[in-house]
Amino acid sequence: MEKTTIWETCTRIFRETFGDAGLSIGPETTASDIDGWDSLKHIQLLVTLEKAFSMRFNTGEMAGLANVGEMVELIAKRTATGNAKGR
Amino acid sequence: MSFIGNLIETQDYSAAWEALIDQARRVQGYTEFVSLCRWREKLAKKTANPNRRKSIKIALLGGATTEMMEAPLVLALEALELGCEVLRSDYNTFAHEMLDPRSATAVFKPDVAIVISCPVNIPSWPKAGDGLERVRQITDEVCRYWMDLCAKLHEHTYCEVVLNNFHPFATAPLGNLGAKLPWDTNNFIRRVNRELGDRLPSYVHVNDVESLSGKYGLMEWFDPRYWYHAKQPVSFDCLVPYVRNTARIVAALFGGSAKCLVLDLDNTLWGGVVGDEGPEGLVIGEGDPVGEAFKAFQEYLLKLKERGVMLAVCSKNEETNALAAFEKRPEMPLKRDDFVAFKANWLPKPDNITAIAAELNIGVNALVFVDDNPAEREHVRRCLPEIKVVELSEDPADYPRLLDEVGMFETTALSEEDQERTQKYQENALRVRLQESIADYGAYLASLQQRAVLRPFDEVQLDRITQLINKTNQFNLTTLRQSRSQLEALMEKAEVLTAYVRLADRFGDNGLISVFFGHMAGEELWIDEWLMSCRVLQRGVEQLLCNYVTEKGRVLGASSLHGVYIPTAANKLVCDHYRSLGFVTLGGEANGTSHWSLDLASYQPFNVEITSVEEY
Repeated sequence: MEKTTIWETCTRIFRETFGDAGLSIGPETTASDIDGWDSLKHIQLLVTLEKAFSMRFNTGEMAGLANVGEMVELIAKRTATGNAKGR
Repeated sequence: MSFIGNLIETQDYSAAWEALIDQARRVQGYTEFVSLCRWREKLAKKTANPNRRKSIKIALLGGATTEMMEAPLVLALEALELGCEVLRSDYNTFAHEMLDPRSATAVFKPDVAIVISCPVNIPSWPKAGDGLERVRQITDEVCRYWMDLCAKLHEHTYCEVVLNNFHPFATAPLGNLGAKLPWDTNNFIRRVNRELGDRLPSYVHVNDVESLSGKYGLMEWFDPRYWYHAKQPVSFDCLVPYVRNTARIVAALFGGSAKCLVLDLDNTLWGGVVGDEGPEGLVIGEGDPVGEAFKAFQEYLLKLKERGVMLAVCSKNEETNALAAFEKRPEMPLKRDDFVAFKANWLPKPDNITAIAAELNIGVNALVFVDDNPAEREHVRRCLPEIKVVELSEDPADYPRLLDEVGMFETTALSEEDQERTQKYQENALRVRLQESIADYGAYLASLQQRAVLRPFDEVQLDRITQLINKTNQFNLTTLRQSRSQLEALMEKAEVLTAYVRLADRFGDNGLISVFFGHMAGEELWIDEWLMSCRVLQRGVEQLLCNYVTEKGRVLGASSLHGVYIPTAANKLVCDHYRSLGFVTLGGEANGTSHWSLDLASYQPFNVEITSVEEY
C-alpha cells in the first residue's frame, strides 16, 4: 500500500476520533501534541486503525506506538509483507 | 452518516434525532457505532431526544473497565427511547461501591446499577482435583458473594441491578475431559452461572453473557490484547451486541417491551400464495427443506406466544382463503386460535395495523411488524413511525434469528397472566360479540355476571402488580413507574393505602386488572397511582374501586381524596377520569397536570354490576 494512502486514511481517522476536522498529523506527532489523546483514545485509535487496514497489532506493539510516524511505518510494513495478522 | 451532521447544521434537530436513532438501531460495527455516539453527543448539546419516554439514573460499576461502555450504552438506550444520567465507577471498584452506604454510587441513588463483571471477578476457584462436593461448596460461596453485594446495594438505594453472568474461556487445559471434571474452569463457570440464575432475587437481572458470548463465539467475544492493555471485558467487535443486550434489560424494566407481533401470511408464515396455489400448494412442514424452515419459524412464534407475546395476522388476502390454510394444513404448528386478531383483507396494512392496536387497546409502539415484502415494510414504517419493523432476508431459514435479534420482547419477569394472555383477549372478543347482540348496555353488564376481588397488595400478586405499573400507558393517571422493591417498601407503611382488583365474569378470569395506591397527607388521601388494563374499560371497575377506596380512606381518617392527572402522550383516555367519578377540579398547572378533590362526607357509593367477593 502506498504510504500516501496510509497517511490519508490515518489523518481521516485521527480527525474523526478527536472530533477535529482541521487536525493535521505528521511523523513526529505524539500523544502530548493532541488534546485528548489519553489511553482510552489510544485504544480507540488502534481499534479503528485495525479495522481500516484489516490488520492486527501485537500486544507488544500496541504500547510501543508512541508517535504517528511509528504507527504508519508499522502499517506500511505489515501491508507490504502481506503479514496483516502479525503472526 | 454525515447526513446527521447536515441535519444538525441546518438545525433540524428532530429530524437529526430520528435519523440518528434509526441508524443506532441498524448499525452493527463498533467504529460506525462510535461515530454515531459522537453525533449523539453533539446533538444532545442542542436538544434532548424528543421521543424519550423517560430519563433514568444509571450507575455503571466496574469489575472491568467501564469507560468504553458509557457512550455506546447511552446511545443504545436512546434507541430504545430512554434517556439517562450515568455515574461510572472505575476498574475493579464495584465491591466498595456496592457495600459502602456512603459510596458515590449509593449517594447517587441510581434507578439501575449495571455491574460490568467478568470471570476475573469470581472470588474463588476450585483447586485441581477438587471433587463435586467441594466444587459445590465453592459455587455456593461465589453465589453468596454476588448476592450479598447486590443485597447491600439494594438496601442502600432500592435500585434494580443488572448483573453479568460469566463467559467461559476459549481455551481448555483439560481438553474434552473438562466437561466431566467439576474443577475444570469452564465447567465451574457454567455451574456458577446456573446457580446464580436459580438463586438471584427478583431485583437482580441476569445479563446472560454466557449465552451471548456463545452466540458470537468465544474467540470473537474476548480479545486478550485489549484486556492486557485496557482491562476491556468484551472485544470491540462484540461491544455493540453487549451494550444492546444490556440496554434491552434496562428498557424492559421501564416498560419498553413490545406486546404484540403482527404477521403477514404468504411467504412469511408459509411458502407460496394461498390465494393462487390453494392450501394444498403451500410449502410448509416436513419433507421439503423450505417447508421445514417455515415450520421452524412458526415454532419459534409459538414459543413467543407461550411466553405472553400476542400474535396477530395482517395479510392481503381473501379471509376465506387465509382461514382455509389453517384448516386444511393441520400440520402447521400455528392454529387460527393462536392469533388474537386476524385481518385478511385488501385494506392498506397501516389501516389494519391501527385497527389491531385499537382492538387490543394497546399503542402502535407496542407492536412489531413482520412481512417478507420490503414494499409493505416501507409503507408501514412510513405511515406508522412508532412501530418496530423487522428487516427479513429472502430466506425463511433466517427469519427466527432476525426476529430474535430485534429483541423487542425482552422482559424481566413473567407472570401467569403472560402465559394466558391470548386466551384472555379471545374471551374479550366473545364479550364484544355478546355486547353487540344485547342492545342495552346495563343488561349486557348484568349478563356478564362479574365478580371482583379487591385487596391490598400482597406478595403473591406483586410481580403482576409491578408489571402492570410499568407497562400500562393509557389508563394511567400519573404514569408513576415503580420497581418491585419500591412496592415492597410501600406495603409496610401504615399511612399508605394499596389496592388491586381481580375480575372474573362468565367468559373467564380477566386476572389482575387494576392497581391503586395513595398516602395520607393531613386529612387527605393523596392518590399516587391509579391505573387499569384497558381490556376492562367501562365495566364499572373504576366505580367499584372508588367505592372501595373511599371506604378504606375513611378508616385511615381521610375526609377527602386528592386525585392528580398528569398528561402524557398516551393517557388522554383518562383526562376526565376524576370528573366522571364526581371529583371537583382544584385547577391545573402550567404543564397540564390537574388536581381534583372528592369530599368523603357527601360521597354516595356508585351502583355497579359487579359482585365483590373474597375469592372467585
